[in-house]
Amino acid sequence: MEYGLKPLGRERLWLWSMLTPTILGLVFGTIGSLLATLVLSFFDWDLIGSPVWAGVSNYVALAQNHAYIEAFVNTLTFSALYVPGVVISSLLVAVLLNRKIHGVGIFRTVYFLPTVTSAVATALVWNMIYGRDTGILNFMLQSVGLGPLCWLCTDHAMTSVVIVNIWGAIGEGMIIFLAGLTAIPRDYYEAAALDGANDVQQFLRITLPLVTPSIFFQTIISAINAFQAYDYIYMLTRRSGGDSSVPVAVFSIYRNAFHFFRMGDASAQAIQLALLVGVFMAIMFWWERHYVVYE
Amino acid sequence: MKSALFVVVLVSLLLAACGGGKAAAPLGPADVTFMMWGAPEEQTVWQAVVDDFHAAQPNVRVKVEVSDWDSYWTKLNTLIAGGTPPDVFAMDAPLYLDWQSRGALLNLQPFIDANPGLLDGFYPQTLSAYKLEDGYYGLPRDFQTVVVFYNKDMFDAAGMSYPPADWTYDDLLATAKELTKDTNGDGNIDQYGLWTDTWDMELFWSEAIWAYGGEIISADHASTLIGEGGARDAWKFIDSIYKAGAMPNPTSAGEYGTDLFQAGAAAMTTIGHWAVPGYVGAKLNFGVAPMPKGPKGAATSVNSAGFVVSKDSKNPEAAFGFIKFALGAAGQKRLAELGFAIPVLKAVAESDAYLKQPGDLDQKLFLDSLAFAHVKPVFKGYEEWAAVIGDGLIPVFDGEAPLETTLDEVVTAADEVLAKNK
Amino acid sequence: MKKSQYKALVDILTYVALGLGALTMLLPFLWMISVSLREPAQQYARDLIPNPFTLQNYVDLFEDLPNQAFPYLVFNSFKISLLAVIGQILTCAMAAFVFAIVKFRGRDFLFALLLATLMIPPQVSLIPNFIIFKYLHVIGTQWPLILPAFWGGAFGTFLLRQYFLTIPRDLVDAARMDGASLFDVFWRIYLPLSKPAVAALAIFAFKDSWNDLLHPLVYLPTDLHQTTLTVGLAFFQQQLQLGGKFTVLMAGAFLSIVPLLIIFFVAQRQFIEGIALSGVKR
Repeated sequence: MEYGLKPLGRERLWLWSMLTPTILGLVFGTIGSLLATLVLSFFDWDLIGSPVWAGVSNYVALAQNHAYIEAFVNTLTFSALYVPGVVISSLLVAVLLNRKIHGVGIFRTVYFLPTVTSAVATALVWNMIYGRDTGILNFMLQSVGLGPLCWLCTDHAMTSVVIVNIWGAIGEGMIIFLAGLTAIPRDYYEAAALDGANDVQQFLRITLPLVTPSIFFQTIISAINAFQAYDYIYMLTRRSGGDSSVPVAVFSIYRNAFHFFRMGDASAQAIQLALLVGVFMAIMFWWERHYVVYE
Repeated sequence: MKSALFVVVLVSLLLAACGGGKAAAPLGPADVTFMMWGAPEEQTVWQAVVDDFHAAQPNVRVKVEVSDWDSYWTKLNTLIAGGTPPDVFAMDAPLYLDWQSRGALLNLQPFIDANPGLLDGFYPQTLSAYKLEDGYYGLPRDFQTVVVFYNKDMFDAAGMSYPPADWTYDDLLATAKELTKDTNGDGNIDQYGLWTDTWDMELFWSEAIWAYGGEIISADHASTLIGEGGARDAWKFIDSIYKAGAMPNPTSAGEYGTDLFQAGAAAMTTIGHWAVPGYVGAKLNFGVAPMPKGPKGAATSVNSAGFVVSKDSKNPEAAFGFIKFALGAAGQKRLAELGFAIPVLKAVAESDAYLKQPGDLDQKLFLDSLAFAHVKPVFKGYEEWAAVIGDGLIPVFDGEAPLETTLDEVVTAADEVLAKNK
Repeated sequence: MKKSQYKALVDILTYVALGLGALTMLLPFLWMISVSLREPAQQYARDLIPNPFTLQNYVDLFEDLPNQAFPYLVFNSFKISLLAVIGQILTCAMAAFVFAIVKFRGRDFLFALLLATLMIPPQVSLIPNFIIFKYLHVIGTQWPLILPAFWGGAFGTFLLRQYFLTIPRDLVDAARMDGASLFDVFWRIYLPLSKPAVAALAIFAFKDSWNDLLHPLVYLPTDLHQTTLTVGLAFFQQQLQLGGKFTVLMAGAFLSIVPLLIIFFVAQRQFIEGIALSGVKR
């Protein structure tokens, strides 16, 4: 990017002191953790004794670890459903809210509510809502004549969990898209209307291309959230014994580290997850170069 | 350093013993941290035990920290990995070997030797899990046997007589089927005849396997035996309960909370004494009966929660002093009054402190069940092994996978875990 | 005529769609409140308005926790979250300012590195962080929960940087010509102009700290007078979930989100504009 002033003399001092906390944080908090995790992934550590060198065996074991493969596949499936779901629905909400209608403030607040609350707390309600015999969702279905579904049983658990996560994230996406939408000058629409374009055409030819920066940002954030999703999924699908009917990657990492005495394997899984995020971000940046339109 | 301390302790204990009188030598000054999992009520009672101990040993301050099960293991593992372990912590017997074999625990044998007769009054079944060739690395603090709990109101409403002492698994199934009903006529079943946890072995499937003549694991901990002989028949029986609809399948049971008996949605359950305070609190009218007999006799499971001391504890003698107190008559009496578990000291368990608790529950049954109880297996890799089996069989109970083939797959996977943990 | 009719129709459809969606957003909360006000026997009832209506569940919550711990739990959570917010605002804003305004070698690399930290789940960084704090001798205190907030953060820095980028650069140049230091520009010009974005960050930082279960669990003593609300409730919920005592569970859950809701309502106007304006335009 082209912006930026060059600091003169004493200003350098301010520059670095203002950056110091962040740099400290990077060193200790995150590079430290990332490096530590990377290093640990080449060892076997049971948390009690000392780490023992293991070479790449933890990574090789990943391919044979059925539980982990299941968790990894679940994470991919979840993300594939969740990311488009969240991006599209929050874009839709933002588009609708961008029209001049009354009560925009109230709507914005209501849509944002789920995002501000704790997943652990609201997951408890969702458990009640999804109950097969006692849940209100089935009650509503039955009152219009449809049969009750077992929402949290294996065939529907993934969908149910995706729905709850989308519910909890629409607000965030909505705000991002609203920002992007308000940046599009009204003149474009007026000019298009003068040329006879209808609403749908305006949306496809003007709105969509110009909102791609927001789509780019929101997709990345949503994907990162999806790969690391844990709270809602765990609260809704956990079984006795600390298991879950929809185990995801973070769940497997946690179990390996804190219950199976396998910190090395957990670290290898975490690195693989981080690589997944990295690959995805690389793909998104490629997409940005070709498809994202900045004015 | 450690051996010098040990000598000091030994000498002072000997001196105290020679001095006649049972007063323990003064310990400390020391701060001891004690971590355990449990219910909020247990925090209060353990605090009382700690206060009693403090009265006896004013120089030792014990800090007791109680967490829920999930939080407990997260915190414990983190503290140990970070190098700041608690001095004393609670251990579930099956997991004991995992910790001991990794060098996390202090060998308590020297302390036990310094206190001759300390373990004499214990039920031997509770001690066996903790005894290793070179000594005890932990001691049991209380024990649990599994019995059948039944809801008297539901039985009365159905006009059925309560489970007799010599009933069989077939009787159990028939009773459960009869008690599964839709009580409010809305088309959904809201009362199940039986509910129990079939994930971990302790509550049902180990008992069934033993009663059918099968075994869980080989003596050398190298092979999983739950797929052979009598054990297979036991699994078929368990599966039949699910297929008959007398038990809710694991995945859909969650909407009632985690204990359907306590929620009033099941007429029977199989569980240990730890559930009693909760059931009493839920104002259930319930009774207990022994586990049913299988083709090869009656069987139940005995398990214990224990104390262990961290190898890196800075105050091992004070830590052990606390354990000794809690395992003594006074401490055990307090714990019996708690109502969660059964004291390991025979004298206390067979006394009024345990037997005459409020309510008319047949407390003695838990003790009598010891006669046909098998000790819950203890081996390295227990949690991972249990997860493979528990997770693996859920699809069968949910009706989505066939029992025979899944059982074989599960046994193979379980053996892999055992091999990894040799 | 046809044009305005058409517009009215679309408006109505918009309202309907948004209204249905809003209902979906609200239903779980309404249900939560409803269940928390019910008698235990009614917990599975299908009506929204509880009948009979009772506050007993909330009373139970206060009483069941040993040692009347509830006020302590709330106080601890509040104190830690408040400090976390202050830490985040200060440090993220400073870093964001530098990233937005100043050109220096390695800036883009450092910024990318910062964003990369989003890739690691917190469960993974737990143990390495724990070891660091152990060497600082702060295990068992609240410091491990407060200090990291003063180390900046990827999300906060990103958010504020985007916003700072929209402030006209001339202000900076003018101030510098008047002899102001970089810090003056930051403190006197940028920060005051960025109230919306700062409000936004405040809400997110507070929420993340308030809802955190893992870190207070591990770093604070499990004593119910010294730990936070999330840990206390987790301890409790296990017991409540045994019997499926959903009414008390819901009361606890609702109480745990009330402070967030209050703060959100207070700051929401500032906040929503804040994110909106920090946008993604370049």
